[in-house]
Amino acid sequence: MAPIVVIRNLIKEYSGRRAVDNITLDIQEGEIFGLIGPNGAGKTTTLRMLSTIIKPTSGYASICGKDVVNEGDMVRRLISYLPDEAGAYPNLSGNEYLKLMASFYFESNDDVKRVVEEGVRISGLGERLKEKSSTYSKGMKRRLQLARALMISPKLAILDEPTSGLDVTHAYHLRNVINGYAKSHQTTILLSSHNMLEVEHLCDRVSFINEGKVVECGSPADLKVKYSSQNLEEAFVKVAGFA
Amino acid sequence: MHRGVKLLIIKEIKDLLRDPKIIIGMILFPALIFPLLGAAMSVTTSSTIEKAYGNLTVFMIDNDGGNQVEALKRYFNSSNVDLRVLAGDPSNVSKTLDGGDVLVYVPAGFSQNITSDLKGNIVLFINFKDFSMVEFIKSGRVDALLIAFGQNLTNSKISSGMPGTDPGSILSPLAIDYESVIKGSPQPISPAFLQNTVRTQGIMGPIVITIVLILAMQIAATSMAVEKEAKTLEILLTIPVSRLSILFSKLGGSVTIALLATIANILSMTYYINVLTASITDATGGMDLAAVGLAPSIEGYAILGLTLFGSLISALAIAITLGTLAQDVRGAESLIGVIMVPIFLPTIILMLGDINALPPAVQVMLYLIPFTYPVLASQALFTGNYGMILIGLAYMAAFTFMTLYVAAKVFSTEKIMTAKLTLNLRKRKKGK
Repeated sequence: MAPIVVIRNLIKEYSGRRAVDNITLDIQEGEIFGLIGPNGAGKTTTLRMLSTIIKPTSGYASICGKDVVNEGDMVRRLISYLPDEAGAYPNLSGNEYLKLMASFYFESNDDVKRVVEEGVRISGLGERLKEKSSTYSKGMKRRLQLARALMISPKLAILDEPTSGLDVTHAYHLRNVINGYAKSHQTTILLSSHNMLEVEHLCDRVSFINEGKVVECGSPADLKVKYSSQNLEEAFVKVAGFA
Repeated sequence: MHRGVKLLIIKEIKDLLRDPKIIIGMILFPALIFPLLGAAMSVTTSSTIEKAYGNLTVFMIDNDGGNQVEALKRYFNSSNVDLRVLAGDPSNVSKTLDGGDVLVYVPAGFSQNITSDLKGNIVLFINFKDFSMVEFIKSGRVDALLIAFGQNLTNSKISSGMPGTDPGSILSPLAIDYESVIKGSPQPISPAFLQNTVRTQGIMGPIVITIVLILAMQIAATSMAVEKEAKTLEILLTIPVSRLSILFSKLGGSVTIALLATIANILSMTYYINVLTASITDATGGMDLAAVGLAPSIEGYAILGLTLFGSLISALAIAITLGTLAQDVRGAESLIGVIMVPIFLPTIILMLGDINALPPAVQVMLYLIPFTYPVLASQALFTGNYGMILIGLAYMAAFTFMTLYVAAKVFSTEKIMTAKLTLNLRKRKKGK
């Protein structure tokens, strides 16, 4: 089966500095795939290129066979993106926000209603969704955003640091939602994180990324065996040579 | 309309209209401030006039006792003045009077001087306590009565010295009737009245236009910057809507809110102008502006609308571009501050003077600023002089297209995400 995400020799430069350096990757349909690396490694830049927000300097990337540069409009219909720091419109309620977002993907009122109901279920925010999002805590905003990203059943959900900065309760809820949703909807999930334990718990396969380059790729179990490590954190340190 | 654009415009309007800063600052405040000003002005003016033009009491110290001062007393009484004759030192007596009360001090020799064809001296003591309009009007009324009394004395002397002549014709041998030719038609209006009316209208129009442009630009610039600050921009860029649609929805949302703000401003200002015009009309004897050809035409309003629309779109395109390039809301506001200069400049210059009377270099500069044309069009509502404005419409269309093109270019690049334009020169210098 053809991979859902194909990345070939992807490069992104800012003023001559390479943020992403010649990345090549394949992600299979239904996988939860993790990009792991320290801050500034190039994870977010890679995800932004796949999300059509920024264009690569060179190289190629496609989602479901659609080129992210030349077929951006079609790619955007297939994906949903959760940025590292995502906000909702402060003067709209959670319900209004979910309905607005659903309306971009679905035209009939029935479809929109169905999708919003799914969003409400995913968020687990209940009655609080009737309130303006400006009243939400950071964890609630993140749950709303994850619901927004998953409710439309995208072919590929791109999640940048989905649990970063959240307390244990919210982080636990989000991890369970991501895991459960991927399994039940056959949605491919590409997430980035520097929380190695979270990635180990969630992902089928991971790529270690450091200084813009992919330095290793495989399943968490294989990587731990390959580098004789107790966990992914230890394996990453051995690969990246930080120890 | 494209579905995505429609959804985004609705979102923009909903989000903006729920923002207390927009509702209070841009719609409610202007909607209330001018009626309040007008009402305050109306109440103040009518109560001042009522008080100042009510029964007039005049105090008098008569140290002359002659026939002319008796004639003056009779004149005051026949003019519905409550005359009260007192005794004592005028300086001391005047201190005891109420604010605005007038003491007429007639020194000895007054009647003798007048009879001898010399000037009769009178001293007016006006007690100013709070320098109010009432005090000034009251003293003015006494002054006017004394001038009229003096006029009567002159007339009487001319009549007795030159029997059979009209004293008025001797004193003022020229009779001037004014015929102001307005749009080719002579109208019996004095230039002073005309200047007053046209100047009033010529000031209000540009002020309204400036307010509209500034409000719209602030909304547009901050709406993009807010997307960055509220971290909603990245999501917006990944929904299945083209970037041009996002640009047009921002324009549409800002125009809608700006129009609401404009309606609030115009309704509010119309009330204020009506109060103002009513007082001018009363003062000039109720002249009908439409009857003398000074009422704006439908064509005039259409041209004003076109110039305003062009200015609005180009101003919004510039504002959105700057808002997109700014790092945050504060950055966008400071960048917009720079653009305020070419908006204020034509308004201020044209409020004070006629564009044709300006030096050629200044005229060229003003004609190059697209925001000049709605100001000119608002003034042309009364003059009907549309020559340069019609040429300017073509120029404005080109300028608007260019600004939209630049905005679309900025939106299509990743500068929308990465740009952090700022006016913080200090920081830049430090960086060097």
